[in-house]
Amino acid sequence: MSTAALIVTLGSVVLAALLALMMIPVLVWLERRIAGLIQDRVGPNRTNIMGFRLGGVIQSFADVIKLVFKEEYYPGHIQTGRALYILAPAITFSAALLAFMTIPFADTLHVSGEALRIQALPVDYGILWYLAIGALGIIGVLFGGWLSHNKYALLGTQRAGSMGLSYELPLGLAVVSMLLTYNTIDFNAMVAWQTQTVLGFLPAWGVVVQPLAFILFSVALFAETNRAPFNVVEGESEIVSGHMTEFSAMKFALYFMGEYIAMNSAAAVIITMFFGGYQLPYLSSAELIESFGTFSLALMVITPLIIYAFIRWMRRNNDVRSTLSHDGGRRFEARVLTIVLLIKLVVLELIFAYFAFAQPSALQTQIAVAVVQIAVFIVKLMLFNIFFIVVRWTLPRFRFDQVQRLGWYYLLPLGLLNIFITAIVIVGVGS
Amino acid sequence: MKIRVVQRHGTALKDRLYLPAIWQGLKITATHLLKNVGDIKSVDVLEYPEEQPSDITNRYRGLHRLTHREDGSVRCVACYMCATACPAGCIFIEAAERTDGVDEKMPSRFAIDTLECVFCGYCVEACPCDAIRMDTGIFSLIGSRREDFVLEKEQLLAHKGAFDE
Repeated sequence: MSTAALIVTLGSVVLAALLALMMIPVLVWLERRIAGLIQDRVGPNRTNIMGFRLGGVIQSFADVIKLVFKEEYYPGHIQTGRALYILAPAITFSAALLAFMTIPFADTLHVSGEALRIQALPVDYGILWYLAIGALGIIGVLFGGWLSHNKYALLGTQRAGSMGLSYELPLGLAVVSMLLTYNTIDFNAMVAWQTQTVLGFLPAWGVVVQPLAFILFSVALFAETNRAPFNVVEGESEIVSGHMTEFSAMKFALYFMGEYIAMNSAAAVIITMFFGGYQLPYLSSAELIESFGTFSLALMVITPLIIYAFIRWMRRNNDVRSTLSHDGGRRFEARVLTIVLLIKLVVLELIFAYFAFAQPSALQTQIAVAVVQIAVFIVKLMLFNIFFIVVRWTLPRFRFDQVQRLGWYYLLPLGLLNIFITAIVIVGVGS
Repeated sequence: MKIRVVQRHGTALKDRLYLPAIWQGLKITATHLLKNVGDIKSVDVLEYPEEQPSDITNRYRGLHRLTHREDGSVRCVACYMCATACPAGCIFIEAAERTDGVDEKMPSRFAIDTLECVFCGYCVEACPCDAIRMDTGIFSLIGSRREDFVLEKEQLLAHKGAFDE
């Protein structure tokens, strides 16, 4: 194993772990802020460290500290299966975390004859891994709910089981039609396929080629991640908290975080399979490497505009009403953040200028392209996470028999129909 | 018997597809989201506690107070009407003989346990002397021990009415 391979592997693992774990506080914060803003409230915006509130994201870290230091309460009525009861949240959490690990964050690097995948788990059967490991999460839910010896938890477990029956088939069928289209089970190859164009001008993203499969897949993933409108397993208003009722402190937090990681993984899989993954539309990796000088020249122009717009937005909104004299250090925070952003802008401009005007080596260009692709991936990931959140605060909950009906009467036949049409088209095009 | 046939909605293809309705809903929530992200000050909320509510009307039942006579002495005559009317049983009165010649009786102790109180206002209704009122406009009471929430006569006498008569 060469040094380059070691560095790339370590880097990808660290990146995947960061993207999965550091995303949780951000997602929890986003969830609460977006819920507030949708309902014309403000959401958490008070917690701060020396006046720095970063729009309220500090609240999530305070929540984590609180959960970690909370009393580890163990319900006395649970006599059997204690070990499994404690293990259950960990199963859900690790299943969600592992499912994220085969997502490619950038195109394969070619260093001195070696092809280095920027995947935490550099395998070429990514979608199978996701389906297999992602579906394991429900086992933690079943164990936890059953061993809680609690009626609400049992009801939640029963619902979780029925949900599993409802959505796994349409999910699989949607994936099958995509496999027929891409003719591969490798996420990287799928992304590469999506750099083509259809009808001459549209990027051949999965959502353009297979809109029906996209709808089926995202509906099934909403169900798999227990997100509204399919969060029947928790059903706060009906069965307290479902399988999590008897869990407290960090055990509860593992379930809670597992949910957000699952949502994050689902968003990552959706953008990898249907929205071109880490690729920019119309720009394949080869084209990007070839004309990276021009590209960084374009970035040199665009970045100041974006940062200027962001600073203006921040200075206008990081402020309480003018009728109040006391603003809790918000103006100071805005000033410091402005300076930080300007320094960042200068650094970025210098880097872009290097790639635009100096003669970077082929390896440097490759790494720069990978970084750009990682950035594109993260932006797409955030957008899709926000979509998940907005949907949650838009739709009411399905009843669990309605989910079953939806899965078996509508999604399943549609999935079969979609496979049928896809197969016919592929045979027609192929012959 | 008259039978009215109610027309069921939601059977049209458009409703059964469900997706157009989702799209409509997303449009509404996204509009609110984008408007508020663009201008957080358009969100009509109170920056409590820096901003205090200004819309408390004189009918608002806030913390209790004991009123005074013209000469500044306590108006209460310790008749126990309020304590009798109280559904929560949170008013504790100990009567004493009044020696200053203004009246015959007065409370030596008049305490309200605000943790028990349900702020129904029956004590105010029951009082024959207009001695207890809930017009202070105070809506928050803070303490670190349970005992802090039992308001004694001196505290109740010290509360000021927030509104004109």
